[in-house]
Amino acid sequence: MTTERKAPTCVDRRTTIKWLAATMVAANTGCSSSTKFLGDEIPAAPNAEKALLGVAATPSNVGYGTDPDLINPVVPWPRTMTDAQLRTAATTCDMILPADDQSPAASAVGVPDFIDEWVSAPYEQQQHDRELILGGLEWLEQQSQSHFGTTFSSANGNQAAELLDSIAYPDTAAAGNDKLIEFFRRFRYLTVGAYYSTEAGIKDIGYIGNVPISGDYPGPSTEAMAHLAGVLDELGLSLPS
Amino acid sequence: MKNERYDAVIVGSGAGGGMAAWVLASKGLRVLMLEAGRDYNPYDETPMFAAPRDAPLRGTGTPDKPFGFYDATVDGGWQVPGEPYASAPGSEFMWWRSRMLGGRTNHWARNSFRMGPYDFKPRTRDGLGVDWPIEYDDLAPWYDKTEAIVGVYGRNDGLENHPDSSPGVLHKPPAPRVSELLIQAGCHDLDIPCVPARRAILTRPIGDRSACFYATDCGRGCSIGAAFQSTTSLLPMALATGNLTIMTNAMVYEVRLDDKGKADGVNYIAKNTGKHEVASGRTVVLAASSGETARILLNSKSALFPDGAGNSSGQVGQNLMDTVGAAMRAQFPLLENRPAYNEDGAMGLHMYIPFWLYQEQARGELDFKRGYHYEFGSIGRREPGVGLGEVATFAGGYGRSLKEDMRRYYGSFLSFVCRGEMIPNAGSYCEIDPDTKDRWGIPTLRFHFKWSENELKMVRHFQETTAQIIDRLGGRLQGSVASPQQSISRGGEIIHEVGTARMGDNPDSSVTNQFGQTWDINNLFLSDGSVFASKAHKNPTLTIMALAWRSSDYLAEQLRTRAL
Repeated sequence: MTTERKAPTCVDRRTTIKWLAATMVAANTGCSSSTKFLGDEIPAAPNAEKALLGVAATPSNVGYGTDPDLINPVVPWPRTMTDAQLRTAATTCDMILPADDQSPAASAVGVPDFIDEWVSAPYEQQQHDRELILGGLEWLEQQSQSHFGTTFSSANGNQAAELLDSIAYPDTAAAGNDKLIEFFRRFRYLTVGAYYSTEAGIKDIGYIGNVPISGDYPGPSTEAMAHLAGVLDELGLSLPS
Repeated sequence: MKNERYDAVIVGSGAGGGMAAWVLASKGLRVLMLEAGRDYNPYDETPMFAAPRDAPLRGTGTPDKPFGFYDATVDGGWQVPGEPYASAPGSEFMWWRSRMLGGRTNHWARNSFRMGPYDFKPRTRDGLGVDWPIEYDDLAPWYDKTEAIVGVYGRNDGLENHPDSSPGVLHKPPAPRVSELLIQAGCHDLDIPCVPARRAILTRPIGDRSACFYATDCGRGCSIGAAFQSTTSLLPMALATGNLTIMTNAMVYEVRLDDKGKADGVNYIAKNTGKHEVASGRTVVLAASSGETARILLNSKSALFPDGAGNSSGQVGQNLMDTVGAAMRAQFPLLENRPAYNEDGAMGLHMYIPFWLYQEQARGELDFKRGYHYEFGSIGRREPGVGLGEVATFAGGYGRSLKEDMRRYYGSFLSFVCRGEMIPNAGSYCEIDPDTKDRWGIPTLRFHFKWSENELKMVRHFQETTAQIIDRLGGRLQGSVASPQQSISRGGEIIHEVGTARMGDNPDSSVTNQFGQTWDINNLFLSDGSVFASKAHKNPTLTIMALAWRSSDYLAEQLRTRAL
C-alpha cells in the first residue's frame, strides 16, 4: 500500500541517524572509469532499417481487465519480441543467472519468455520497461558487432562480460551511461524475479511454504531459534521474559 | 420482490452492511441488501495456493489489479471502470473501491485493533477534533461480541489505551517468526513494546469456518473461512435465517423520502438492465463506505433537504480522514544465511508495536498529538515473486556470485510501517463534483485532502524511532529517507477513509447520533466508517463492525417498540 522507494546500491552501515539529522539526501558519488563503450546512448526506438535485432511487433492494448478468472489465469496479450531479441535476452539473463551445481540457467526455466510477456503487456510500467529493455538489448548487439565483429549471443564469454561490466556496476560505469545502467538494473530485477518464482528457483533459494499446516503454526525450527540466539547474543539483546 | 416493503434496506455488503444484515435478520426482521457489484463466491473463486508463476506478469500489480493479479478485489482498485472521481486542484486523494459482494472485506489485511478510552475522547485529551458521543465502555460489549463472531487472534497485554478483550474471546496468536522476535528484542532494549498483533483470523474453528492452515495470502480471500470476510461468515449466516434477500449489481444513488420527510427506501440502477428501480423499506441503512455513503446522501436532494439527506448540519462529506502512512526498509546482516523454515505463518502480522508514549505525550514531551503503531512488511523468507528482484539490486553484479548473494540475502530485509492517527481538518472533505457523472448518470465525488503539521511531526517521530530500532539491530537502511512531507502517504492510500458523516451529540455539528441514526431522518441509519468522529491509528474495520452491531440492536429495538 505504501510506495516502495528505490534502494541505492551502496549504503554505509550505521549512517541512518546521521543523515536523519542532516536532512537526508543520498549523495550520488559514483566514480567513473574509462571504457571503450563510452557515451553510447541507448537506442530510443530501433527502426526497421537500422535495428540489428529486428523490430518487435506492436504490442496489444488489451489487458486482462478488472475481473479476470483467477482460477484459470491466461495472459491475453501476444508476445512481441523478435527471435533475435529473445536470443540476446537469453544470453543476457544466463550471464545474470548461469547454471551452477544447485540450479539451472535462467533461459532453461523460461525467463526470456517471461521478459517477452512483460515487455508485451499493455500497462504503463511494462511499456516503460519495454523501451528500456528493447533499447538495451539492441545496444548490446550494436556494441558487440562493432567492437567484436560478432553477435552478442555468439561473442565469447570474456567479450560479453566486458560489455556487460560496463553497465552492470554503477560505481565504475562510464559517465553518460545512466540509461544503460538503468536498463541493466531493470533487466536483472525482472530476470531474478522471474527466475526465483519458478519451481527450480524456489528450490534453490530455499522458500519453504505455501503448504497447509494442520494444528498450530509451529514457528521457527530449533535450528532457526539457535541461530537467532547467536544473533541476539552478538547484539547484546534478549527477549522479554 | 419489487413490491415487498422490507423492514430494512441495507446498502452495501462489506463490514458494516454485512454486520447490520446479520444482526437484523437474526432478530427476525425482513432485510433487503443492495450491492453495487457482482455476486462473489469465495468458495469457488479464491485462487488458494496458486503460484505467482501461473499468473500474468507473475502476479505483479497492474492498473487492472493494483494489489496483484490474485488479489480478491473485483472491478475495483484505485479506479472503477466508468465510475470516476476527482481530486480538487492541489489535492491528491486515492479512493479504493471494489464492486463485489462482501466489498473490501474480501481482501483486507485483517488487522483488528480496538480503539481505547482515549481514542473516543480525543478533544478532551488534547483539545483537537471532536469527542465521540460514546465512551469506550459503551462499545466494549459489542467489541467482545464482534470479536467472538468474527474470530480475532491476539493476546491481552493490559496496555494503556489498548483494551483487553474479555476472557475467552481472543484466539491464540501464532508463534512469532525469527525477524519478529529480533524486532521484539531490539524494542525491549529501547523500552518499546512489541506484542502479538490482533488479526481477524481464526486459529480455532468456528462453525463451518476452519482454523488457519498458515498458507496462501489472505488478500486473495480465504475459501476455508479462516480469514474473516463477510462472504464466508456474516452473509451466509444472515441468509440462513431466511430473512435476508441480497440483490447484486444494484447501484444505489438516492434515498427516497416520503411526504413526511421519512426515508421510504432507495432508488437504484439495476446495472444489468440499466433501468432505474425502487427498493422500499421501513428503514434505510447506508453502509456503502465512507465515500459512497456521503455521495448517496449528498445526491439525495429534496425540497425538505436541499443540501442532501441528513445534511442540515452541513457535515456530510466533511471531516474526511485516512490513516497516516509511512515506511522504511532495512537489511539486516545478522539475518543473512539463516536457517530456512516455513515463515508463511498467518501470512500477515504475528507481532506489532502498539503506540506506547501516552504518558510522555500527556506530560508534553512529544511534539505531536495522538499516536501511531508499527506494522512490519516483507517479514522473512516469503514466497518469491518479481519483487525479489530488489534483492538483486541490493546485491549488485551478476553471475554465479549473484546466485550466492541471493541465497545469502533472501529473508534478511524488513519494512517498518507507520500507521498513525490523522486529526480532521477543514481542508479534507469530499463533495459532489458539479461537472462529472458516472456511466450511470450519477454525480460523482471530488476530494479535497490535506495533511496538517501534526501528522508530519508524527512521521518525523516515526522516522527517528525507526532509525534507532534499525541501528540497534545492526541493520542497514535502504533508500534515502525523504522529508515527512515527501514520505507521508497520499490521502486515501491506506484505505482507511472515515468520518464523512460523523456521529455526535449535537445535531448542529454532527450527522448522526451515537447509534448512526441521522438527526434529520430518524429511520435513516449509517453503518460504516462515515460515522467515525475521529480516526484512531487503529485499523477501522473492527470498530465499524462493533458500531454496526450496536446501531442495529438499537434500530431493531426502535422498530419493535414502533418508535420509528
